[in-house]
Amino acid sequence: MRQLLSYLRRRFLPEQDWRDEMEANLELRKEWQRGQGMTGEAAEAQVRKSFGNQTRALEEVRDVYWAHYIDDLVRDLRLALRECWRHPSLFFSAVGSMTLGIAAATAIFSLVDPLLFRPLPYPSGDRLVSLGLIAPIDKSEFILGSQYLDWRDGQTAFSSITAMRPAVECDVTLNRTARIPCVSVEWNFLKTLGVNPSLGRDFLKSEDVPNAPLAAIVSHTFAAVYGGQTAVGSTFKIDGRDARIIGVLPPTFVMPQLGESQVLLPAQLDEGRMRAPENTTFLRAFARLKPDVSLNEARERMAPLVQKALISVPPSLRKEAKFVLRSLRDRQIEEAKAASWLLFLAVLFLLAMSSVNIVNLLLARAEARRQEIGMRRVLGASPWRLLREAVTESLVYGLAGTIFGTVAAVLLIRGISRAAAGGFLRLDMARVDGRVLVFAVGIALLCSLVIGCVPVLHTLGPELLRGEGTRATARRSRLRRVLLSLQIAFSLLLLSGSLLFMRSLLKLESSSPGFVPENLIAVTVNTTRVRYPQSAQLAAFQNEFERRMSTMPGVRSFAVSDSLPPSGGMHGRPLGNMLVDGGSEPLQNGGMVAFRYVTPSYFETMKIPLLSGATFNEADRTRKGASLILSASLARRIFGRANPLGRRIALGGPGSDWNTVIGVVGDAKNDGLAHGGDPEYYRPRLRASSSDHRIIAIFRTTVTAAAVERWARQQMAAIDSSVPVEVTAMPQRLRSLNDRPRFLAVIMSTLAVAAVALAAVGLYGVASFIAASRKREFGVRAALGATRRDLTILVGQDVLVWVAVGAVAGLGAELLAQRYIRSLLFGISASDGASLASAVIVLLLTAVIACFRPALRASKVDPALTLRSE
Amino acid sequence: MGRRTDTLAGTLELLILKALARSPNHGFGIALHIDNASEGLLTIEEGSLYPALHRMEREKLIRGSWSVTDNGRRAKVYALTATGRRRLDEIEAHWLNTAKGVSKVLRFA
Repeated sequence: MRQLLSYLRRRFLPEQDWRDEMEANLELRKEWQRGQGMTGEAAEAQVRKSFGNQTRALEEVRDVYWAHYIDDLVRDLRLALRECWRHPSLFFSAVGSMTLGIAAATAIFSLVDPLLFRPLPYPSGDRLVSLGLIAPIDKSEFILGSQYLDWRDGQTAFSSITAMRPAVECDVTLNRTARIPCVSVEWNFLKTLGVNPSLGRDFLKSEDVPNAPLAAIVSHTFAAVYGGQTAVGSTFKIDGRDARIIGVLPPTFVMPQLGESQVLLPAQLDEGRMRAPENTTFLRAFARLKPDVSLNEARERMAPLVQKALISVPPSLRKEAKFVLRSLRDRQIEEAKAASWLLFLAVLFLLAMSSVNIVNLLLARAEARRQEIGMRRVLGASPWRLLREAVTESLVYGLAGTIFGTVAAVLLIRGISRAAAGGFLRLDMARVDGRVLVFAVGIALLCSLVIGCVPVLHTLGPELLRGEGTRATARRSRLRRVLLSLQIAFSLLLLSGSLLFMRSLLKLESSSPGFVPENLIAVTVNTTRVRYPQSAQLAAFQNEFERRMSTMPGVRSFAVSDSLPPSGGMHGRPLGNMLVDGGSEPLQNGGMVAFRYVTPSYFETMKIPLLSGATFNEADRTRKGASLILSASLARRIFGRANPLGRRIALGGPGSDWNTVIGVVGDAKNDGLAHGGDPEYYRPRLRASSSDHRIIAIFRTTVTAAAVERWARQQMAAIDSSVPVEVTAMPQRLRSLNDRPRFLAVIMSTLAVAAVALAAVGLYGVASFIAASRKREFGVRAALGATRRDLTILVGQDVLVWVAVGAVAGLGAELLAQRYIRSLLFGISASDGASLASAVIVLLLTAVIACFRPALRASKVDPALTLRSE
Repeated sequence: MGRRTDTLAGTLELLILKALARSPNHGFGIALHIDNASEGLLTIEEGSLYPALHRMEREKLIRGSWSVTDNGRRAKVYALTATGRRRLDEIEAHWLNTAKGVSKVLRFA
């Protein structure tokens, strides 16, 4: 042990060793002098004289060790720079390729890093999980109140488990009234996440019991708007109740489900009421795994509790319910995970391709320098030495590539965030910071090493040592052809992928939402519960709103609804709850049914076709629970081919009011554009009462959105100026729904174009190389009567065989990758023949064009000249 | 590491190798041995000895290791390696030839 320590010290702290050595020798000399009878000052002087200047000696020793490193480095650098100077085209191509690869990789990495790699903003965030059941009623896992209580009290897998109610909008009155997203959480919510309030304190258990005075922890921005430092301790009204601010969240706080939240309140779960059978408290649960428990183990330990929970699920939903326990990261990025990995892998492929291109260039030069290298080898240059020179040179490319690439990445990211803010989950988090820089430098180093080493190791084959100059080219040129195949495979993968996404996007954009979005403008108004606490008051406000909106000039058709297709904010209920008159049982396994309250002109305004029966009339708006209009898919689901008109349905199951089907309309998308959506029914919007605080006026008009907005604000100011007005043009709204698929398609296509360009450059290089290295053979062939056409074909064949190998490999990889990209595609199969075929055709054409010139040049060989040079 | 010391360094290397060929020794011992053997004609500043020793160690002509001397002191003791022994033979022969040649030239005049 002691030996090891002293070895390490000598290895890494040699100075001390040198000093020790000199001291030891000085002591030896003194002792010797004492033996000679020399003492006192004379002896000291003698010691100094015979030793000389100790500091200088130390410096010279240091030089022995360091000077040579520095000398070598300077020399290698000088050689590398001279190399760059002598071959500027090589230098620029190499740096250009490197810059392209690093810029793309760095930019994409900064996009996906916050999603895939960066630690979650909670201590030991990888131990956090989200758990619950998945059923058609909601896309993310949830848990009902009584089940949660069982889980919380019976679980053994977690050190802490907590729950929140879904985020809602609350009416908050501090200085003014506003609607603000707020969340009710259990008292240990922040403790489970491992987050402390940056000001004030966390919830107490005593604040999380029913009817306790409301305590609130508010977001950093909320505190900043409402008093900053002094916010803690002040009180405000939330949905009419008094709440006191006890804490402020850190500015970096992120909700575990990534939702927005300005105010956290204690959930104050009433356990007694939650255990009642009809209770449907809807919760989201999060937990922290015990240190020694894995995800799988946690799933196993939860299994008995899950069984019990599933038994309590209504039979109509049980078959469709499934237990989910997954890492918080997976919960957060959901469907963005596949896209993130896809982009990341794609860009790594591109980086690999650009490196391969440089290797190709350097191999060509190494070929030209074989004589020189062989000579130097014979004269005693060590392989290590040659390798070091080559790596120094590639590091110069790498350094330049990193600098230009990082700058380009910063610009790219800035451009992307500005041009496509909605295109990618958490795009606002993407920036080139320390982590991203480390990544950029890391990949640059890795590429430089590979680029530097491969050509040298390849050229330093054993035949060089034996002095076989030109015979061993077969092995060497095979590497270049294999690299070419690799490039083709990568670019085919990227190209076919991008074609798939492009075609998917086109299908998406041309798919009909079930209504005609052109010339549709919506005015949405959200009222607060504080201002309109009574249903009658709200109805009066909404009737007045409707009356005024209906007077808008220049409108062809006008309707009012409480939600807008194709997504968001509709009501829904399980199909299993509904009962058909004459049908003996509730409907089974139906998933969810969406519904809206609309005015009679809704279908005409939206241009949703009436397929049979009639639409509502004004009389329907005064009778509660009378008329019902079904979407085609719902009618088919319930009644099959039978005629639904006149049939009666109890929407809330046995005991609820009967509604009569008076009409069937076409399906309109209600779950985004990419999904089929749920079957849907419509009910007439009643005049007398309303419970929905949102009301939407829909206009079919050629008036511009800006003009509508001006007019609507004027009108609203006359009714209630405190209510915010939001104006949406439907075509823009639909467009923004496709932001993510469009982003993916555009980025993938950009990468694919770059890949094909790189492959073309690679192809050109290899074809030229083949033409040059087979010059003698061609000369002989030409002399023996081969025509120029024959020779061109020979070169073409040589290249195209390897292109074909690459294409087959690429197609294979593509088929393997299908499984992962399927979820990202719309209306198109991942093995879509047209996309794959066009990718192959584009690449083959590229190959033919890239080979054309070199092949032509090879065919112009003059047999006399070639043969003479032998 | 000036150019000035090149010839001297060559000579110094020879002297060190020769001193160590007798037996492994530490820096002071080498200096003392050269002093004694040359009967005081060649005195080597110990300070200039160390850079040479370290350079030679780097070139694997000699190998140094810490050990305890006869009188119980710690010192770094150097010994010749096989490479060092070969190098000694080479430059000793070269030096003798040169010296012989030079003295012949001197005598001829």
